[in-house]
Amino acid sequence: MDINATLIAQAIVFTAFVAICWKFIYPPMLSMMHEREQRIAEGLEAAKKADDSLEEAKLMYNKELSKAKKEAAEIIEKANSRASQIVSNAKTKAEEEAEKIMTSANTTIESETNRAKEELRQQMSDIIIDTTKKILDEEISAEKHDDLLKKAAQDL
Amino acid sequence: MASELTTDSYINHHLTNLKCGKTDAGWTCDPYAEMGFWSFHVDSLLWSVILGCVFLFVFKKATPKKGSENLAPKGLQNFAEMCIEFVEDNVQSMFGSIKNTLVAPLALTVFVWILLMNLMDLVPVDFIPVLAGHIAAAITDVSWIKEPDDLYFKVVPTTDPNITLGMAFAVFILTIYYSITVKGIKAFAAELTLHPFGKYLIPVNFVLEMVNFIAKPISLGLRLFGNLYAGEMIFILIALMLFFSSIWVGVLGFALHLIWALFHVLIVALQAFIFMALTIAYLAMAHETEEH
Repeated sequence: MDINATLIAQAIVFTAFVAICWKFIYPPMLSMMHEREQRIAEGLEAAKKADDSLEEAKLMYNKELSKAKKEAAEIIEKANSRASQIVSNAKTKAEEEAEKIMTSANTTIESETNRAKEELRQQMSDIIIDTTKKILDEEISAEKHDDLLKKAAQDL
Repeated sequence: MASELTTDSYINHHLTNLKCGKTDAGWTCDPYAEMGFWSFHVDSLLWSVILGCVFLFVFKKATPKKGSENLAPKGLQNFAEMCIEFVEDNVQSMFGSIKNTLVAPLALTVFVWILLMNLMDLVPVDFIPVLAGHIAAAITDVSWIKEPDDLYFKVVPTTDPNITLGMAFAVFILTIYYSITVKGIKAFAAELTLHPFGKYLIPVNFVLEMVNFIAKPISLGLRLFGNLYAGEMIFILIALMLFFSSIWVGVLGFALHLIWALFHVLIVALQAFIFMALTIAYLAMAHETEEH
């Protein structure tokens, strides 16, 4: 074992290699690693965010769905009640109409009957007069026996 | 200087570096020349630079090009990111809130580079030295290489104390720099002189603290060197078993090789980690401004 200038030469070589590593090898490697580390962290963050927003969207979807269901049910109920109302309205109207028609028919019938009766009475009295005229044949004139005729007509 | 192969020469051959330096006759790599301090272990430095380049190349290749899609990492990038995360965790645990952009890349370089250098220990001990010897004998015609065995070539840089201490002292200088810039030169000087005995025994304090201070880089470098040197030594000794004439010793040698290699994988990784952890710890201590 002898110590000689190799020691100094090795110290210089060592310094040179360390300097090269320090300036050219280490920093790009380290910065590359840091950059990737950061990117992975960002990616994980983004994934978490996406997960959260998915959850939120699901919640929103469920809320909207139940709201829509409720609205639909309301609309159906409204429509039902409206329909039944329309039906009942129509029913009352129809009943009223029927009543009206009935009443008017009744009055018409009554007046027709009265008129027919009056007419009949008139015709009857004419027939009676004619018949009586024929029977009595000139014995009784209309002018003379007016009172009698009137009385008879009233009795009919 | 090829000689008869003995146990001694085999071991020595594996523990000697290819040393080049300046002599009176000019530059040479002759192992028997006198060179003094200003000489270099060419094999250690060569492998250390090659493996350092492998580290830089792999990590550069693992980084996706700018502007490309920054998607899930795969293959090589995964491995590189794993290393970086491991280093970042360690730095974070010791530095806490203190911001320092140099420490993590430094720790990464230390860890991966030393790991690669230690892993060279798992290459069979004779592989590369013999290959290098043959290549050298074939293509060079210098006087000191006559046969392949004449070339010494050590493959594991961390079994060379110059390499480990060189790195340890570079870290040491960095800790001094941060101690002065972060704490201020006054606080740093006070740390070295005003305890454990208070201001009336400053010389004693200084000597004690200095020992403590200098021991850090030396222990840092020698720990790595010692562990790997011992590991390499055991590989060499096990490899020696294959030279015995008995076939059973050879078989045992193979088995021991496997067992030791498996165990050594642990040491390889552990020592790289320890060097890195201590580097971070020493630098963290240089940033601490608390009073003792």
